[in-house]
Amino acid sequence: MTKKLSLTPYLFLIPALLVIAVFVLYPIVAVVYYSFTDYSISTPPEWVGLKNYQQLMKDPIFWQALSHSLIYLIVTPTLIFLSILLAIVVNRKLPGIHAFRALFFIPAISGSIAVGIAWRLMLDTNGIINGTLLSLGILKEPIQWLAEPAYTLPIAMMLTTWLGVGYYMMVFLAGLQNIPEELYDAALIDGCNVWQKHRHVSIPGLRPQITFVAVISSLAALQVFNEIFTLTGGLGGILNSGVTIVFYLWRQAFRLNHAGFASAIAMVLLVITLAFSIMNIRILERGTEAD
Amino acid sequence: MQQTQTRSVYNAAVFRQVIEKILLYVVLCLVAVVTIFPFVWVFFTSLKGPNDPIVSVPPQLIPQDPTLANYVRVWNQLPVWRFYLNSVIVTLSVVVLNTLFTALAAYPLAKMKFRGRDAIFYLLLATYIVPPVLTSIPSFVLAVNVFRYYDKLPAVIFPYLAGVLNIFLLRQAFKSVPDDLLDAGRMDGASELRIWWNILMPIIRPTLATVAIITFVEQWNNFFWPSLMLHTRENMTLQVGLVALQGAFANDARGIAAGVVMTVIPIIIFFSALQQQFVRGLTGAVKG
Repeated sequence: MTKKLSLTPYLFLIPALLVIAVFVLYPIVAVVYYSFTDYSISTPPEWVGLKNYQQLMKDPIFWQALSHSLIYLIVTPTLIFLSILLAIVVNRKLPGIHAFRALFFIPAISGSIAVGIAWRLMLDTNGIINGTLLSLGILKEPIQWLAEPAYTLPIAMMLTTWLGVGYYMMVFLAGLQNIPEELYDAALIDGCNVWQKHRHVSIPGLRPQITFVAVISSLAALQVFNEIFTLTGGLGGILNSGVTIVFYLWRQAFRLNHAGFASAIAMVLLVITLAFSIMNIRILERGTEAD
Repeated sequence: MQQTQTRSVYNAAVFRQVIEKILLYVVLCLVAVVTIFPFVWVFFTSLKGPNDPIVSVPPQLIPQDPTLANYVRVWNQLPVWRFYLNSVIVTLSVVVLNTLFTALAAYPLAKMKFRGRDAIFYLLLATYIVPPVLTSIPSFVLAVNVFRYYDKLPAVIFPYLAGVLNIFLLRQAFKSVPDDLLDAGRMDGASELRIWWNILMPIIRPTLATVAIITFVEQWNNFFWPSLMLHTRENMTLQVGLVALQGAFANDARGIAAGVVMTVIPIIIFFSALQQQFVRGLTGAVKG
């Protein structure tokens, strides 16, 4: 009887643990090993020590990709700001507000590939965006939105923001609805104006959601791929202007067949992600201590 | 005198409220336009006939000569129905099996005491922050050399049959079920599997829905890994097929637009039908 009981929990765990062991744990170990090898998937890996890492340090495109990924993190504060603002607006009890909420949520479910392709068509030199700006007289000449290196990253970041804002708005809305009405009444009695009310009641009340969104959206920003892929047609933009760390990893591993070198990039990504997660958790802990 | 003053103060307050409401609606409508415009534009473009210009100043939004020819062209040139079928097969298999496997795993983690429980839990927690791209290189090698399912549908199903986030959400839900219920079941001589299926699973149905919806949206829109695995057109899912379509119709904005509409329509319909569940499900992970 006791014997049977002691085996039961493991039986329950086996299917899921097997999947995670094969598709997450083993690959982590393997990618560490590959990063020290010369490997092209079709031929067996060959140990080369630190060669990939040395090559990586000297690779200007890697540094460019790394800086692009760090720049990309600007989407996190932008998303937090815009989605809190929008959540405050849709938290008002107005006729038709439910329809607006649902509408704003649509980009979150429609998938970044389809939407990225749609935006690419709109941003074409002969597309609707140039057409509109020209006919309104805002532009004299069409802008080459997707062929101008300086615009690649900002446009991708705008797309990421556009895709995410409705989802994060819902997260903050759920948070706002958990804030007791009395706190707002108290703020009103204390003579707070609208801005002070949100500054002193809404923002502190939303702290768990802000932490959640900060963690999730910054990890997503570090790993951005689909937006870059669709907007640049899989090329990474002119002069690598849209190449982020994950895009560079993908290109090295699956376009150029440098799996060993790409594994070294993967290790850098892992270190950055870990550093970021630890930082985020620290900030979270400090936040809860302050309460 | 006194009365008129109160009245004017009252009027001013009403006036302010009306102005505020108008401003709010202006903001809401602006955001709505920015949100919905790409969908509207892509929809109208997909219906444009050969005489409707894609490029013009001022731009033309609504087709004068609407036609379904673009859809027919795309449908005839690419195995679109296979894209749909494959996406449905992949998404449904993953949603059902992933929910089942993670619910199984979450039960002992929430309700049983056994050797290694905390170690397993923290190991899972640690894997949660590992970027999925990181595992793609070894997973690719496994797919080609070990499982030999490269370019086949199982390649995009098997890696997703368990998810750490889902285990956490379900563990949390199981934890909130009172132990008395389980003990009652054990007294009646029910096996742990029966207790899990007959007592616990019905109680945590809302969390199961959350998990199913998160997994559904994730899988339906999954691109990175499927694009590495699926190369024969007949084996592609919708997202991968859409990128292939974009390549095949490079100079045909109407055709690409039709492809985008066909990809997005099912999930938008699904979302409209189950709005509340979608929103609750996708944001439910926060409380976690």
